[in-house]
Amino acid sequence: MAAETGTPTTLTLKSNDDELFSVAESAAILSVTIRNMVEDGCAGGVIPLDNVDGKTLASVITYMNGISAIPADEEKKKSYRDKFLSDKDFETLADMVLAANYLNMSCLMDAVSAKIAQVMEKKSVGWVRRKFGIENDYTPEEEAAVKEEHKWTFEGVETDDDN
Amino acid sequence: MSFDICGSSLFFALPDDIFTVITSSLSPRDVCSLGLSCQGLNSVLSSDEVWLSQCNKLGLLASSTLIEWRKGVLSYKALCRFLFNTHPLIGIWVQQNPELGNLVYVMPGPLGLQDGRILWAPVFEIFCKYNGSTAFFLHGREEGADYVYPGLLKSVDTDCNVLFLQVEPRHQPDEIDKDVSQIWTEMPFIRLESDDREKLLDFVSSQVRDIVPQAANALLFPLSRNGEVDSEQDFAVLHERRLLLLLMYNRVDTDLDLRSSEVCRSLDGDHRNRSKGKTLFRFLKTGLKQLLRESRSTTGDQEHLKLNEFLRPGDIVGLSLRAKTVDVHCYKVWPYMHESLSALYKFPIQAPKATHEYAGLWGGTFGWPPSSDKPGKALFLIFISYENQEMIATKILEGTSYVAHPNGSAMFIVNIDKPSVGIFPWDTEEESNTTIEVKESFKGEGISDGYGFRYPGSKPGSLFVLENGLLVFLWEESREVLTLQRLDLGELLRRGERVNPLSPVSNFVYLTRKYTNVYSGNPDSRNPLFFPRYDSL
Repeated sequence: MAAETGTPTTLTLKSNDDELFSVAESAAILSVTIRNMVEDGCAGGVIPLDNVDGKTLASVITYMNGISAIPADEEKKKSYRDKFLSDKDFETLADMVLAANYLNMSCLMDAVSAKIAQVMEKKSVGWVRRKFGIENDYTPEEEAAVKEEHKWTFEGVETDDDN
Repeated sequence: MSFDICGSSLFFALPDDIFTVITSSLSPRDVCSLGLSCQGLNSVLSSDEVWLSQCNKLGLLASSTLIEWRKGVLSYKALCRFLFNTHPLIGIWVQQNPELGNLVYVMPGPLGLQDGRILWAPVFEIFCKYNGSTAFFLHGREEGADYVYPGLLKSVDTDCNVLFLQVEPRHQPDEIDKDVSQIWTEMPFIRLESDDREKLLDFVSSQVRDIVPQAANALLFPLSRNGEVDSEQDFAVLHERRLLLLLMYNRVDTDLDLRSSEVCRSLDGDHRNRSKGKTLFRFLKTGLKQLLRESRSTTGDQEHLKLNEFLRPGDIVGLSLRAKTVDVHCYKVWPYMHESLSALYKFPIQAPKATHEYAGLWGGTFGWPPSSDKPGKALFLIFISYENQEMIATKILEGTSYVAHPNGSAMFIVNIDKPSVGIFPWDTEEESNTTIEVKESFKGEGISDGYGFRYPGSKPGSLFVLENGLLVFLWEESREVLTLQRLDLGELLRRGERVNPLSPVSNFVYLTRKYTNVYSGNPDSRNPLFFPRYDSL
């Protein structure tokens, strides 16, 4: 394996829209999927990542580089993750969670999932529908029945309808 | 993907397992709001994976236990509904009789049980029915037989602090009512005179009772055992027990029509000639101000309700349990409680934190060296709380059959800003000869004989915090020593010993003043706790 030569090894990753990215192996192996490829010796040429587009992969690589530059300090890593995700819109987050899932990067996966959950917290049904362009396919009777079934979850918390 | 029908948003490209991860940081309500948006999402979000993670998040039961409980219910969603609805009940509940040495501990089953020092009796149980709704049983013993008294769990406020046992018109609630609505109009039972309340409770419980079958009375929760096979056997037995009791519950539900007219007839004979009780009025004035306010706004007066006003013709009545949020006044941490109301009061447990690191529940014994295992040494349950600069150790239970000071008394109060100048009198441990290190010490006062039973005095002393985690309070003059050790009540009960419950209403709340412990089965017994289990299996 390349690591034995003593110089930092660079891997080349290819997105599904054929963009090529160079990334240090030490950073790239945060992805268990890539690490397995490296360990199996399949990382010699270009590593094709069929489920990730260029825009998302660029983001993920920024994250890989950023987080691997931080020494083993969970506090600092957490604050880096928070900062990294703070300016991402919902669609980017959805892409990133898929990418993190595909690349098997649990730390990114958990952070993005939590961030997505944060967006959805305490939102009304109407907000959810508007935000995600969901068409209400319940009949009024069905909707009332589902509401009734879930009555127990309502603790009198006000939903913030306008966000 | 199953929710393509919903639209083309990227959001819906998320696979189910990612949804599970995302929803694990949402509340049940948020999950339901998502599900309400369209059918596709609802079916994805109804999965056992999503709701197992919601159950886990409540943190009430170990995963392995959740798996066992799941076997008896429709889905993890149903189980979550049950846990979510009933978890505000979990904790320590006390009753006003300060002399009486017992308390009610509501805990999620299952527990273990071995021979030990703590005595307990079941007080009530709440089962999770197949669909996640609740089945409430009061426990009691009459004429030498153990009975259960089915009733309804009517409401549980999220921040409940008073638990009312009452008689109510018997409508099965579709859902446990969570509205913090007007207690006065909602609970006409407490507007009855105390004698009427007592009579109603006694009569109705005598009508709904059902003898506990032997098969459902041997094991109330799994024994504390090591073997996996053993605990599997326990779960199997408990599973059967639950089914048996739920069957009984449903039978009462369908067969027993306790008409209000019938109750009226039975009680009417003697209810005319009684003197007017003033208890409810006193109750309103001293304790639950909120009631008073609401009574003014809703009824305009504080008159007692007559039995025949309460029992409207055509109603079918039964036992009910309501956990309400009420304004309760406290002295230090001990709530002022109403004398004649069948209600329990939740003890506000503070969790330890940086500046309050000793807050919480402790077990205490007198004497040095501390050895709670020694026969004859009574165990005290002591609750430490903080108020400004004071650290207060309140006795909530005393394991003697004749109690020296009322429960709710402060065993000691120390000032956390005043280190003690006293010296810890022992420097080595007797058995191991290791040195005892004192981490810090505080100056304060400990309980002592005062003016009669009810008004204990106090004398100076010091609290030593030892490196090994023990707290030791030393009375300066008498050189008496009280040693405190962190306590896990659940664990203690696991090693406890079951005793017979009292008659059902007394079992819930013992309203007669008594200096000796009514739950002690024999003169040698220590620490009778009576605790209800709160269970689903």
